[in-house]
Amino acid sequence: MTTPTGTLRTDEPASAVLGTLAEQGATGALSTETGIVYLAAGHVVHVESAVTPDLGDLLTHSGALAPDGWWEAIDQAGRRCRVGRQLVDSGHLAAGALELCHLGALFDAAYFVLAHDGPALRFRPGAAHWLGAVRSVPVETVLRESRRRRELLHRIWPEPSVDRAPLARVPGPDAADLPARRGRTLAQVDGVRTAAQIATALACRTFHTLVELRRLAAAGLVTPVAPLLPVPTSAPAPASAPAPVFAEPGPSPRPAAPDEPETALLRRLLHALEAL
Amino acid sequence: MPGIDESLLDAMRLQGARGASVVDWISGLALGAVGDAPGGDVEATAAETAELARLATESGALALTGKGPGGPPDDDSGGPSGGLSGKEPPVQDLIITNADSYHLLRFVTTTFDSTVFVHLWLDRDEGNLALARIRLAEMADRLVLG
Repeated sequence: MTTPTGTLRTDEPASAVLGTLAEQGATGALSTETGIVYLAAGHVVHVESAVTPDLGDLLTHSGALAPDGWWEAIDQAGRRCRVGRQLVDSGHLAAGALELCHLGALFDAAYFVLAHDGPALRFRPGAAHWLGAVRSVPVETVLRESRRRRELLHRIWPEPSVDRAPLARVPGPDAADLPARRGRTLAQVDGVRTAAQIATALACRTFHTLVELRRLAAAGLVTPVAPLLPVPTSAPAPASAPAPVFAEPGPSPRPAAPDEPETALLRRLLHALEAL
Repeated sequence: MPGIDESLLDAMRLQGARGASVVDWISGLALGAVGDAPGGDVEATAAETAELARLATESGALALTGKGPGGPPDDDSGGPSGGLSGKEPPVQDLIITNADSYHLLRFVTTTFDSTVFVHLWLDRDEGNLALARIRLAEMADRLVLG
């Protein structure tokens, strides 16, 4: 096979194209319908997905880094594609903290980019991400981890509609004594938000939020409001109609979801343009 | 300022150290590993220790006694700022001993979402468990604070 450049054959899944690019030691950006994988010398250095918080979201929304510090680093080093290095050199972040957060975001985005292994759309040779090199991961490791994560979710609760549909609390069951992380996740379930929106609200990685939500679904505390697929349930009657579920959380209805995936994508595009 | 690899190599300088890794306890992924792993399998070790670590962090009985029996401390606070104390793992270390080695798991606390621990595998005859526990805690702090 020749070096894939520009528009690719659309029948080849992203994972196969990534394998070929890894063998060739390629550098550039591979786009799929759900995100972009950045390679340097055949290794994955960065992944972007519209349904996962990026490094900046994780750092600034959690309070680990002041937004000013983030923008300052982009201002000073975005053009040179060294934003990650700049965050450490300027003393805003420890090197280990940057690596942990970056790897967390990378594998999170990769899971959603590769989850359904759609076709690779385009490869831009030589394209580099403005974040720059933080820590690279072999393509095979990323592919294997994405498969393992899919199996992990399936073992917890084999109901994929939890991942995409708006989620509601199930009235009745006692939700006391949940582990702290699961309790925080449940508190965000309002009958409107999806898993990705809950992850954004919590400044948490989306896969890690899915794990908690599938455990909550397995415990009968959370249910998809409108399942994408008709799923036969063991419950005898449709007792969890949406209306009473909406009424359940309390008197103050939540405002509309703060960050649609499209908004997140546009925001990321803005970051990238400003870094040029 | 040490990154993941430098921190793990630092831990490997402890007498009797056989292997060290940084593992995410929700996904079971090893984010970095140096030295040996039991059975030569870093990924299986990471997945198995992660499951143990997860059970420990989710256990009400093992949590700090001062805060009540493990209930969510900021259950209704909602927003992203939900209280830093609620993000700290309720358990600091896990120590497992067997006839020929020690396994020491130290949870790493970060302000951002990370859910990781450091795993040190130590030879029982050569290693000093008490000293290793102190050094590993210092290393975990340096990793995220510099």
